[in-house]
Amino acid sequence: MAIIKIKKPPDSAIDKARPISSLLRTQVEHMQEAEFRLPADKQTNIYINAIKTEAEAADYIRKVTERLHESHGVAPAGVARKKPAKISQIAASAAAAQTKQRSKKASRTASKKRS
Amino acid sequence: MPPGLDKLKHIVVLMMENRSFDHMLGGLKAVDPRIDGLTGNESNPDTSGAQVKVQPLAKFQGQLDPDPDHHFPAVDLQIFDGNNSSPRVPTMQGFVKSYFNQQRDVKHSHNIMYYFPPNKVRVLSTLALEFAVFNRWFCSIPGPTTCNRAFAHYGTSFGQVGLDIFYVKEPYKSIYERLDQAGFKAKIYYYDTASSTVEIVNLLQHQPQLFGTYQQFLSDCEDGILPDYSFVEPNYTDHDGDSGVEIASDQHPDHHVQAGEAFIASVYNAIRTQPKLWPNTALLVVYDEHGGIYDHVPPPACPKDGFVAQPNDTGTGRPFEFDRLGVRVPAILISPWIPKGTVVDGRIFEHASIPNTVTKFFLGSYDQRSAREKTSETFLDLLTLQTMRDDAPEFQVG
Repeated sequence: MAIIKIKKPPDSAIDKARPISSLLRTQVEHMQEAEFRLPADKQTNIYINAIKTEAEAADYIRKVTERLHESHGVAPAGVARKKPAKISQIAASAAAAQTKQRSKKASRTASKKRS
Repeated sequence: MPPGLDKLKHIVVLMMENRSFDHMLGGLKAVDPRIDGLTGNESNPDTSGAQVKVQPLAKFQGQLDPDPDHHFPAVDLQIFDGNNSSPRVPTMQGFVKSYFNQQRDVKHSHNIMYYFPPNKVRVLSTLALEFAVFNRWFCSIPGPTTCNRAFAHYGTSFGQVGLDIFYVKEPYKSIYERLDQAGFKAKIYYYDTASSTVEIVNLLQHQPQLFGTYQQFLSDCEDGILPDYSFVEPNYTDHDGDSGVEIASDQHPDHHVQAGEAFIASVYNAIRTQPKLWPNTALLVVYDEHGGIYDHVPPPACPKDGFVAQPNDTGTGRPFEFDRLGVRVPAILISPWIPKGTVVDGRIFEHASIPNTVTKFFLGSYDQRSAREKTSETFLDLLTLQTMRDDAPEFQVG
């Protein structure tokens, strides 16, 4: 099985300030069309006519994509949302009591050593 | 049933951006004469009347700036060279003139005729020579990205020939919805949320659960939970990501071609290196449209779509009945069940072939589709080997 080595592009290939293409301009406009259907408090309020560079377009696209996902109750694609652990009141109290006991025991041990 | 088809469980499509067949793979004719690439004698007239020949002088970046015009009127000029008579024959003689219109620089307009020698696009060239390369895969519309990608998702663009917003018209459903309703899994993997998808208005807006990121695609390959059908989109912008700067990998001019090569290699490797995935997966690498760049093969007529684009929308002063395909694009089908050096010739493919192939494979009979999709060629018959190959290469990027 042959392993074929491929060169990576140079860092100079990256240009976040590159002016956006017609495709990206369209993507931004389509994103705006979609975000205008979101509740007002979910919209970005970004003025898309001021978006001139790839970095600016990417930032806007990210914000709208994430809000579209969230508004549907779907985690943004690829983001593993950790659910907060549900700790019952009893278990929480038991854990707190155990911690307190360990502290007392540590103090008693330390004081025996000193004497 | 051939064993490759019998074992097939996953179909993956990676759709890149804006490069013609001759520009990326034309140089392979010198390696395998069956590949309908370039002899070196192909040419276009420039605005001074001089003939500009194709040359293997394509650069990774900086040469096709400004971005060559690939909207409907410009592509009409590229294909028909300004001939507005009826009927008219495509001559593929208008590319240099079209590119001249953007900067009024005669010398710069010649760049549109340059192509990559195979050793500069090693990933794409290797895959084309190792697996099945299509001599006749055309983009679905002689126009830009959005409407062409629509054919890959829906089998139609609902009458659109440009980048405008369009809304899906019943009864046609996307391939993802068809599969989902039948109990199959389908997903579109965009690169990340900052790159997102081109299909925003219908799919992302209404069905964001269909989407995953590229990192998720890699983990799904590793974990053996790839959907039945996956559509992968490259990165459309240079931007800051969570772990540093992300370079655009779509190969849309003027993004660096090597970045796209690395991305194609990454998708291929993700499947190739998984012993439980490689025997059961077919990967199609295809480009959405030619990006305004030269190709020598005239696009053929095709069955009408049932929609009509009006003169106001085409910008040419004439309507378009979706009865002619767009310019040829690179398309390679990859599977260990495909004989090495397969060249698919004598058959016409286009982006509607994608939902048609996926629908027929997973669903069998399904009526509510466009006429174009129903009559398009399918491609899984290329998995013909009785014994799986064990000689497929891997790529190492670095």
